[in-house]
Amino acid sequence: MSDAGQTWRSMGMAEALRDALRIAMRADPTVFLLGEDIGVPGGFGGGFTVTLGLAEEFGRDRVIDTPISENAIVGAAIGAAIAGTRPVAEMQYGDFVLCAMDQVVNQAAKMHYMSNGQIRVPMVLRLPVGASQRGAQHGQSSEAWFMHTPGLKVACPATPYDAKGMLIAAIRDDNPVVFLEHKLLYGSKGTRKESAHISLGTEVPDGDYEIPLGTMTGRRQGGDITIVANMLMVHRALAAAEKLAARGIDAEVIDVRCLVPLDMTTIEVSVRKTGRLLIVEEDHLTGGWGAEVAARIADAAFSSLRAPIRRVAGPDTPIPCAPALERAWVPDIERIAATAVDLCRRAASANPHPKFVFD
Amino acid sequence: MKYPVVMPHLGATGGDVKIIEWLVAESDLVLAGTALLSVESDKSVVEVEAFRGGCLIGPLAAPGSSVAPGEIIGYLIDDSAGAALTSATRPALESVRVTSTTAHLRPASTLANGEPCAATVAAKLSPAQAGKGRAAFAERLAEAFATMVLIRRYEEHLYQLFLQGLVPGTLHQCQGQEAVAVGVCSALRRDDLVYSTHRPVGHLIAKGASLEAITAEIWGKVTGCVGGKGGQMHLADFAAGAMVSNAIVGANIPIATGSAMSFRLQGLDRVAVSFFGEGASNTGTFHEGLNLAAVQDAPVIFVCENNLYAASTHITLTTRIANIAERAAAYGMPGVVVDGMDVEAVYAAARTAVARARAGKGPTLIEAKTYRYRGHSRGDPGGYRKKDEHAAWMAQDPIDRLRRRLTGDFAIPAASLAEIETTAQARVEAAVEFARRSPEPSLESGLEPVFA
Repeated sequence: MSDAGQTWRSMGMAEALRDALRIAMRADPTVFLLGEDIGVPGGFGGGFTVTLGLAEEFGRDRVIDTPISENAIVGAAIGAAIAGTRPVAEMQYGDFVLCAMDQVVNQAAKMHYMSNGQIRVPMVLRLPVGASQRGAQHGQSSEAWFMHTPGLKVACPATPYDAKGMLIAAIRDDNPVVFLEHKLLYGSKGTRKESAHISLGTEVPDGDYEIPLGTMTGRRQGGDITIVANMLMVHRALAAAEKLAARGIDAEVIDVRCLVPLDMTTIEVSVRKTGRLLIVEEDHLTGGWGAEVAARIADAAFSSLRAPIRRVAGPDTPIPCAPALERAWVPDIERIAATAVDLCRRAASANPHPKFVFD
Repeated sequence: MKYPVVMPHLGATGGDVKIIEWLVAESDLVLAGTALLSVESDKSVVEVEAFRGGCLIGPLAAPGSSVAPGEIIGYLIDDSAGAALTSATRPALESVRVTSTTAHLRPASTLANGEPCAATVAAKLSPAQAGKGRAAFAERLAEAFATMVLIRRYEEHLYQLFLQGLVPGTLHQCQGQEAVAVGVCSALRRDDLVYSTHRPVGHLIAKGASLEAITAEIWGKVTGCVGGKGGQMHLADFAAGAMVSNAIVGANIPIATGSAMSFRLQGLDRVAVSFFGEGASNTGTFHEGLNLAAVQDAPVIFVCENNLYAASTHITLTTRIANIAERAAAYGMPGVVVDGMDVEAVYAAARTAVARARAGKGPTLIEAKTYRYRGHSRGDPGGYRKKDEHAAWMAQDPIDRLRRRLTGDFAIPAASLAEIETTAQARVEAAVEFARRSPEPSLESGLEPVFA
């Protein structure tokens, strides 16, 4: 369903996600929500206000408050999906899904294959991720684990427009979709606004539309270096790109809004044009999604590369909590820009016709 | 003979009890333990169970009416006292189960761990059941016998082939546990869902799965029920309501719960069943799944097949209580212990639990005391078990017991039962032949379908 002809209005990501849930639930009575603290009257609408008000509209049979039982939340979502409904399960924090990894990996992801295609598991698992001064157990970005599991789709939007269209698409998808939402992007107007959030008051169509899973989108055109990033890192990459522009480097920024299916064509086309690839991810360096993208580009577009592929990522440590330490842990605009400059300089020194002049 | 069903003494004040509804219809055949009606006292809402088997006849006290304790509210008929009837004189109060406050175990719960249930734990339907009802009951028992024999013959035949090196992969067998699978599945409809375990053959056959397709799956053939993707631990027949069996201990518990929640949300009266062993009752998913099912009043039946051993580890090394069913009290759901070597007892418990689930009253935990004759999996000779323990359980063999009941109480000729066994053996051999002759799956087929 496209957004053509719709009225657009300004919303934050939490509001856009709420709008997606409302639209999907109105259109299909088999869609229901389950999770902790998502519908309690007088409560806060899930960890980050996304489900605020939905219990009042759809009733508590369709907005189910569960015990603190992540295994049962994910397991029940699987069973409900098999039985003909479309559950949207929420983990209060993405980190808590680790309590339920058997249900995610051994059950949800494998059921379609193990049934030889005879059953489907149309469910969405919403995970708030990203470091937000809560320490090592409330801030991980876990997309690499899910990307490593065949059978799961993995969505990770960076804007309210994408968040809404992708969540509607995820709910209507016949596969289990792990849906990551970065805590600093919610921009909620609710009671739990994140102190360090980024304001994303972008215009969003107020009706029903879908953004197909498995697509990426360019956020900035440029000819000198390709920067790929997801979620919060997209915004930092864009800010870095402005700094780079001031130094004569024209960066192309690609928003990897879906990791499975992974649209490598968009990245490959860009890298063939720029000859340089910088990957930015808010995750540990080792075994992250960036490593997969790097390997595939090295395989498919090696001859186009004018410089090594570089990654900017979190170090291989748990995420520290102190504001100063966390700021240093999460890739920031300066690191992204500096790495991009370094990549362009390396290539420039090897290039008989340098395009850039560095200070 | 006609036995009055009287209103038990329920409340704290001894006052009248209000009848909410009858859960079985007049002239229905019921077994001991079947929930007959639900009533409301000053204390709670409870179900009154049949204290013996029989045919329910009127006049029945009307729903909505208030009745004094001791007053007759209906009758169970049976034209003789019945030699097999052991609990006709059990006080009615003993068969009342509190459903809205705390779970109350049935008398069979006094069985100690590891001790085979006595043959007379559950009251039997009288062989002298009047006319049509009796014939129909005998027919159902004979069907149960045929299914149990089919499971036994299947498992034994595969065991023999396995010893000859003719069965690929692994093997987890259920000889000895047939009455649990058949008793539970006999209380289900085809559109009810069953979630099984790594020991799935009994549940699958009892739910009506294709013998050829599950056998071909064990042999890894393209004609297998899931095209060779599953193997012995992942058998299914979706048309029969048998979902892919699960080889992660305890994992199917929240999944079955979710299917049940989904049925309720869709306004369907289907139920889901989760089978698991006593070992699974020590997993986190057991706790999370049962608790969620209870607070959601999910129409799901949890069937714990307590065969005493989690692989080689005896239950007394892992569990401090005598009955897993006692754990139901922690979740505010009924917990029932049954003799898992007695298909009628299992059926009675399952029928009550299914009726309760369909009526929107929530889940039940049934613990069936049973025993697996063979090892945990292939190549396990079971050296951790004592011979006399094994012999004691074999003496309670569910198929032998049912055979004696059919030939004795129902005067079915031994030759008829022998014919059933011959037919079962032929079906098993034909299924194996089908599997062995089937082609291998194409290598390309292994790459899909990852996504729908």
